[in-house]
Amino acid sequence: MRKFTKPTWLAIGWLSLMMFFAIFGWVLPFKSWNFVYEDDLEVGLFSNGHILGTDSNGYDLLASIIAGTRMSIFIAIAAVGLGGLIGSVLGITAAYVRGKVDTVMVTIFNVGLSVPNLVLALALVSVLATNVDINQAVPTWRRVMVLIMSLTIVLIPILGRIARGATLSWTGREFVTAARSMGMRDRKIITKHIVPNVLPALIAVAFLAVGVVIIAEASLSILGVGIPDGASWGGMIARGRNDLEYAPHVLYVPIAFLALTVISTNHLGDVVRAQLDSREAKV
Amino acid sequence: MLKISFWLKRIAQLLIVLLLVTFGVSLLLRLIPVDLATVLLPVGTENERDILRAELGFDKGPIGYYLQWLGNFVQGDFGKIYFSGGTEDVSAHLADAMPRSLLLMAYTQVIAIAIAVPLGVVSAYRAGRRADKIISNTLFTLSSVPNFAIALLLVIFVGVKFAWLPTLGYVPLSDGVWEHLKHMIMPVISLSLGLIATYTRLLRADMIAALREDYVTMAASKGLSDQRILWRHVLRPSSLTLLTSAALSMGGLIGGAIVIESLFATYGVGFEVFAAIAGRQYVALQSTVAVIALFYVFFNLVVDIASGFVDPRTRDRRVNA
Amino acid sequence: MSSLLSIKNLGVNFDTPRGSLEAVRGVDIEIPAGTSVGVVGESGSGKTVMCRAAMGLLQGSNVQRTGTVVFDGNELTAMTKEQVRDLFGSGMAMIFQDPMTALNPVRRIGSQISEGLRVRLGMSKKDALVRSKELLELVRIPNPTAVLKSFPYQLSGGMRQRVMIAIAIACNPKLLFADEPTTALDVTVQAQILQLLRELREDLKMSMVLVTHDLGVVAGNTDYVAVMYAGEVVEYAPTTKLFADMRMPYTEALLESIPKIDHKSGTRLSVIAGRLPNPTDRGVGCGFAPRCKYAQEKCHTQHPELQKDPDGHLYRCWFPIGEAL
Repeated sequence: MRKFTKPTWLAIGWLSLMMFFAIFGWVLPFKSWNFVYEDDLEVGLFSNGHILGTDSNGYDLLASIIAGTRMSIFIAIAAVGLGGLIGSVLGITAAYVRGKVDTVMVTIFNVGLSVPNLVLALALVSVLATNVDINQAVPTWRRVMVLIMSLTIVLIPILGRIARGATLSWTGREFVTAARSMGMRDRKIITKHIVPNVLPALIAVAFLAVGVVIIAEASLSILGVGIPDGASWGGMIARGRNDLEYAPHVLYVPIAFLALTVISTNHLGDVVRAQLDSREAKV
Repeated sequence: MLKISFWLKRIAQLLIVLLLVTFGVSLLLRLIPVDLATVLLPVGTENERDILRAELGFDKGPIGYYLQWLGNFVQGDFGKIYFSGGTEDVSAHLADAMPRSLLLMAYTQVIAIAIAVPLGVVSAYRAGRRADKIISNTLFTLSSVPNFAIALLLVIFVGVKFAWLPTLGYVPLSDGVWEHLKHMIMPVISLSLGLIATYTRLLRADMIAALREDYVTMAASKGLSDQRILWRHVLRPSSLTLLTSAALSMGGLIGGAIVIESLFATYGVGFEVFAAIAGRQYVALQSTVAVIALFYVFFNLVVDIASGFVDPRTRDRRVNA
Repeated sequence: MSSLLSIKNLGVNFDTPRGSLEAVRGVDIEIPAGTSVGVVGESGSGKTVMCRAAMGLLQGSNVQRTGTVVFDGNELTAMTKEQVRDLFGSGMAMIFQDPMTALNPVRRIGSQISEGLRVRLGMSKKDALVRSKELLELVRIPNPTAVLKSFPYQLSGGMRQRVMIAIAIACNPKLLFADEPTTALDVTVQAQILQLLRELREDLKMSMVLVTHDLGVVAGNTDYVAVMYAGEVVEYAPTTKLFADMRMPYTEALLESIPKIDHKSGTRLSVIAGRLPNPTDRGVGCGFAPRCKYAQEKCHTQHPELQKDPDGHLYRCWFPIGEAL
């Protein structure tokens, strides 16, 4: 294992902080993110009592960020976890079994990939979040579930295709043939020989996928189909657009958090992949 | 002979994808737990809705509905958009939105490739040295910043603070080239930065691999300059991945640039998707998504053809495929 | 006799993550004008690196070259890359082991041959193509007009090697480096290519450095032979002299590993046991000592200097063959 470089430590540190916000944010001494500080509207960065300022509603931006972290990270991890699990089961099975199953799976992946991510997510969200009575508002928890489901479905073909590709490069190796010739059962070969080898590649992509989901969630929020009360980074950006002219820091803050988080996940994805490449080179 | 069968097979595969996408969307619509006719005609009489149901095939099963839609679609009837004052043709909306998206996509690709190719060549040639590190790190950071963030920052600085460029709207080419371009600059920058990073990275990796090949040493032993070797001998065999990625992202830019199109009010195809969803225009949604998938499939085919020109080896490999 | 190419004390080091790798060290070789010199050694002995270093074709920030190389009165090691480049084509040229990888896969044969003519000799596109066709005829390619328009993958291995020779001789070089030109080819094709090289050398009055791992190839095609082992020249002599009176145990072992026609069927070929020394960490003694059947104590502790017989035969051995102990 090589030593981590400075940027890698920074990325790990930043993501740890975000995880801390997401899990333990509630113990921090903040009022609810949508508590209105009526005397402090649109105060700037590093103001007294509001280190990241407030927006035109009088919401404290740091409190909003912490609440938003919980939402954004929760959605991202849930969607990547589910999408990664389903995608890799489908992808690995397809590549291992080959034949008709593979053809069908590849076609399904291609169908998913032929529609731009955001179009697919948007369509899924709008369909899944429609109430029987269309005039009745959809509760937040259902919105969140719908968002996770939609983003999971978007991720399945992306991750599935990568799992399939990675598996294909291993099924032809001698040790798999050897295991087969010794009469090892397929399920055992997959869990003992394929999965451990494919997993690092999938972890690398999972990091990238977290970034994709965070950005997708924010995009949906900007379009007004995300979490309705705006307790997510994307929701903050969507609200901040109104303050764009006179209090741009309301936009800078969530953009900075979002960008730093995505840079960190992308960087770690890269590090994992680089480790993988050097391991491959040694084999 | 074999070549023809390859292309037929390839086209058949893409057609199947297309059919499945459109069928998937139409199934999805039937899953919506509301009466579609009521959504489309909220103030009409039940009689008017019955007519609409028959017209659109809502009274049939999912497959019957799909076939009816498909029949209309292939004849160029993309359906209608319903609102209280009457209806508008989806095809008219798309005819207005399509040139906007196509131009946005074309400018973005041209800019992205024009910048990425020299950057990729330089960073591959100087791999591991300072120039490479600066280029790679800068692009990596930029590629991690979502395009809407870049768009918003551009709006704040270029649009509002300095007021150099208009922040909203679209002006067709016919109303003046400069006005047209002024409205396109910021959306194009927002969309192309991420692509530049992706393309540079792909090209760099492929060129570094190609630079290790014997034919590069061979070219050097002929007495060719480094410049000539890079541009004439290494670039072309290294550009296949870049080309594939570019062509596939074209499909994504048509219809996928929803956020940018709505932030800058460019109102291309992506915005049509959004408008259809926001306005519950499910027939319009189905047809628009079908058109987007059609473009994706089309560009897939373009990659296949173009890769044969870039790397002649793929032409013959196909015969055996 | 004046030397066309004179290599003095040439060394090549590669910086690797595991330390400095000494691929070539202390190589002295003279190539007299109009001669053909064979460079023989097993894979990894540094012969290819030596040739590429002599021409200055090793690129990358991790390569260090020491020593001097003088070609035709020009001290290459003191010249800029651009100045050296001007000598390529019409001065020095190189052909490579595997014509499949050494020809650009995406460019037509015609453009690959004519490119050197246009860049180095300033020919027009049309003239260069006419000349390219003549060159293809010169290397005996049937139907040259069609081949000009082909891509490398459409030709056979022998054809590709002929094309590569055509590219190399396009600007009438004085010296041709042939780096294992026949290794990737079938045996029958090998003989044809060697025959072609021999004839071209006579017709064009070209000197040649023929790199190979096969002493049999060297025998009929060279005037001198340099045997390389672990980055060093371990024996150097006129070809006929080398075969008649070899001094170096390594050369003998190399010769014994070639099958001969007068071997009885069933005779076991001798193989050289062991491996080349680790190039990042050589021992103190002779690099061949652990594999040498004549090795004595001194061989393991002291690195042999280059010895010289009165007739100019060079070798690097404490206990050369044919010397009374």
